[in-house]
Amino acid sequence: MAKMKIKAKEKKGVVKVKAMFTSLMADKEEAEKKKIKVDYIRQIVAKINGKVVYEVTTSGFMAENPLIKFKTKGGKKGDKIEFTTTDNNGKTATSKKKIK
Amino acid sequence: MFKLDRKSILIGASAFASTALLFTGCLSSSTGVDEKASAPSNAITAPSTLGEYAIKNKTAIDGGVTYVRANGVETAYAYNQQSTKGVSFGRRATPNEIKAWDLDALPDGTGLPEGEGTVEEGDELYEAQCASCHGEFGAGGKGYPQLTGGNQSKDENGVVITLKNQRVYGKTDAPKRTIGTYWPKATTLFTYIRDAMPYAHPKSLTDNETYAITAYLLAQNGIKIDGEEMDEEYALNKEKLVKVVLPNNNGFYPNIDGPNGPENVRAFFADRAKNIGAGVRCMKDCKDPGGQDGKTEAGVVKIKYEMSDVVPPYSTVRDLPPEVEDKTVSKAEKMYNQSCKLCHATPQMGAPAVGDIDAWKDVLAKGFDKVVINAITGMGGMPPKGGNEDLTNTDVKLIVEFMVDSSKEKH
Ligand code: HEC
Ligand code: HEC
Repeated sequence: MAKMKIKAKEKKGVVKVKAMFTSLMADKEEAEKKKIKVDYIRQIVAKINGKVVYEVTTSGFMAENPLIKFKTKGGKKGDKIEFTTTDNNGKTATSKKKIK
Repeated sequence: MFKLDRKSILIGASAFASTALLFTGCLSSSTGVDEKASAPSNAITAPSTLGEYAIKNKTAIDGGVTYVRANGVETAYAYNQQSTKGVSFGRRATPNEIKAWDLDALPDGTGLPEGEGTVEEGDELYEAQCASCHGEFGAGGKGYPQLTGGNQSKDENGVVITLKNQRVYGKTDAPKRTIGTYWPKATTLFTYIRDAMPYAHPKSLTDNETYAITAYLLAQNGIKIDGEEMDEEYALNKEKLVKVVLPNNNGFYPNIDGPNGPENVRAFFADRAKNIGAGVRCMKDCKDPGGQDGKTEAGVVKIKYEMSDVVPPYSTVRDLPPEVEDKTVSKAEKMYNQSCKLCHATPQMGAPAVGDIDAWKDVLAKGFDKVVINAITGMGGMPPKGGNEDLTNTDVKLIVEFMVDSSKEKH
């Protein structure tokens, strides 16, 4: 399961979000080479108050423990931002963080 | 704490050579005996016995020769035995001088200052003063050491993947040396940050701030203290820092800690063939490792086919291409290109990028003069004068003017 680190900060109506996900991001090719299990995050979705503010399809092209950053106007201090990742086996993981 | 016990001599041999001089004046000659009577009370006088001086049979920890000094101490270095008559050894360091110098901390906490800081405070400080070089969450990627990562989590067999184990479990990547996978002791993290970071202004953090940043970095490395996860409110202090057991605590061999350290190292090197690979020390007529019997020829590899058909052809001329004076470029811009562009051309380094109107509006909110001062004294990831000490304050002001002018709305 992918562990994540989230940081979200609001300033003048803009929320700056940074998040990092623990994953080897090993696609089939890389996994065969390294003799490990295929293991990568397929999709990352971020929601604030239930509304999607960020969504991205990912794969082995991203480095191990990928880091993403984005800005959104869809939230304010005190709101919760919720990230959900889906891995190559369809397993999901969710984590929440208060916007500061 | 500096402890000059006999055992540490072998490990810190070179440091010892100089400190020994300072503390015992071991270069003494037998004529130095009555210096004691006339010297000022804090002068360093030479001991009266001349050390016996011979090469001992026992090897140094790394297999080299050892030399015996007085009172049974041996060292890996030969001392100069010339008469030291008339040589001044200076005066003893005062307690205050020693205090200022003696700042390290032992893993048991000896030497750690009081103080406290939370993960959350550390997060703020890290973001402001460290992320520009070490990356968000310590993940690296900016050309400076990575402080987290390396998947120091447990693998499917429940083995913590530390540096020692990273290769064993089928990975082909080079091991990543981070705090969580490589560092054996967390107290070192505290002293290292306090004494050496941020890179451009070391020693600028207070003890509380250092505890906070240490807490943040430990938390980012997924370290638990006493089984407790380090959440944002977690406050780190001396007592808790001592309890940290980093995943790679036992990943080092031979064990150099404690009184048996030197003997462990000696035993390790004594079995070179097993522990390091076959071979004997060799400075001339060296045979390849298979040639310890003295029969095999030296295995020196030479380039067989020299490459010569390269374009442009190899040359030993070291001139730079002639400089063409570009009259359209101002002096300020030239200085900018040389000393600042590296970081300020794009926002990648965390610096306000030249041409980014909004970024510079934010910067200038604190007033032009303050901004110039910041450029001169440095701030966060910005080294003083961009790291170019040769620039005068006026130069820096000119450059900042250029940067500001180039980052204005064009009409
Ligand atoms: C200007 C860039 C820069 C900034 C800012 C900076 N560092 Fe560093 N840091 C470095 C460099 C370069 C090294 C490697 C130094 C060396 O090996 O001699 C380093 C090394 C380290 C290491 C040791 C890494 C290892 O595993 O060997 C730690 C820990 C560290 N820094 C923490 C911090 C902290 C905490 C801050 C903020 C208070 C900070 N750094 C700010 C450049 C920087
Ligand atoms: C090693 C990278 C680096 C170099 C080289 C560098 N800068 Fe910077 N500079 C930074 C960073 C990072 C910041 C942002 C610091 C912050 O906001 O904490 C910055 C910020 C600044 C600022 C804004 C200060 C403020 O008050 O917000 C000025 C002005 C500046 N730099 C001028 C210069 C000049 C002039 C030079 C060349 C002489 C230079 N810089 C070279 C990294 C660099």
